[in-house]
Amino acid sequence: MSQDVDGNAGEGKREQARAEGDAWNITGYLLGGPIAWGGIGWLLDRWLDTEVFLPVGLVLGLVLALYIVWVRYGRS
Amino acid sequence: MALTALGSVLSAEEGGEAVDPSKAGFVAPTSLEFAFPDIIASDGWLTKPMLQIVLSVVVVFLFFFLSARKRSMVPSRFQFAGEGIYGFIRNGVGRDVIGHGFERFVPYLVTLFAFIYVNNVMGIFPGLHFPTMSRIGFPIVLALFTWAVYNYVGMRKFGVSGYFKNMMFPPGVPKPVYILLAPIEFVSVFLVRPVTLALRLFANMFAGHLLLLVFMLGGAYMLANESLVLNFLSPFAFITAIALTFFEALIQLLQAYIFTLLTAVYIAGALAEEH
Repeated sequence: MSQDVDGNAGEGKREQARAEGDAWNITGYLLGGPIAWGGIGWLLDRWLDTEVFLPVGLVLGLVLALYIVWVRYGRS
Repeated sequence: MALTALGSVLSAEEGGEAVDPSKAGFVAPTSLEFAFPDIIASDGWLTKPMLQIVLSVVVVFLFFFLSARKRSMVPSRFQFAGEGIYGFIRNGVGRDVIGHGFERFVPYLVTLFAFIYVNNVMGIFPGLHFPTMSRIGFPIVLALFTWAVYNYVGMRKFGVSGYFKNMMFPPGVPKPVYILLAPIEFVSVFLVRPVTLALRLFANMFAGHLLLLVFMLGGAYMLANESLVLNFLSPFAFITAIALTFFEALIQLLQAYIFTLLTAVYIAGALAEEH
């Protein structure tokens, strides 16, 4: 996401466009985390006939999504 | 649909056979407002939204064709408008977001923007008054196009396995953590992106159209009501509807822009070396 661009116009505008893209990507991760691990938990629950893995998966997914956001956007 | 509801309210005022509105109460518009009758056969393939899609293709084609036909160093107003939109997407979205090698995506981005915008504007265009993109089938297809484009260019550049590796494994994380992160990356890139892309456009157009209907039909209901208080208050509903129409005009432009911008962001992400 942090490619260098040749050309010389509107550094501020470019930054803004990229920030907007990042914002939507972050939203995607925050949705994708609970969906991915919640889904895995749900499948485990169906398979093992339990009821714990769905909530555990949802929380784990959200935590991991926040971690990804930090790795990709917050560290530099 | 909206017209028949309006008609029944008005005919009720004249003492027609329709239900007395003061007893029936206001019937709020529902998703039924988005279902249109068949124009020819009864199998549901040719309806008003379908005609609008065809119309939008003609409009977009004619606009760019005519604006580019008589090119001159001193552009006519028409040429200026066409070049303005092209330049805005080319520089503001293509170059600034994708960067190096953006030129080959400009035709897709410009077409996408113009196509979505024209279809959105039909939501407030006199005589049409229906945003085509509030039928979810159209945004889904557009999102699938974008999905196919960014995955294809990514796989062309890095190869299939290289692309998946690039998208699913963010750099600088301890090895065992990848097992935890890869499913999230996969779901975000291959499922959440196209779904949110389609839903964002659909939901904005759907909600906007419904909002306008509520205030327009509500205003008509209040005007036709027996209660004098409601009669006097009805202009506020109409004024709100007019204000919301201007607001919608802004949303329509914004949603077309966001869809195009995100397409460019996803392409840039697929082409980025280190993600």
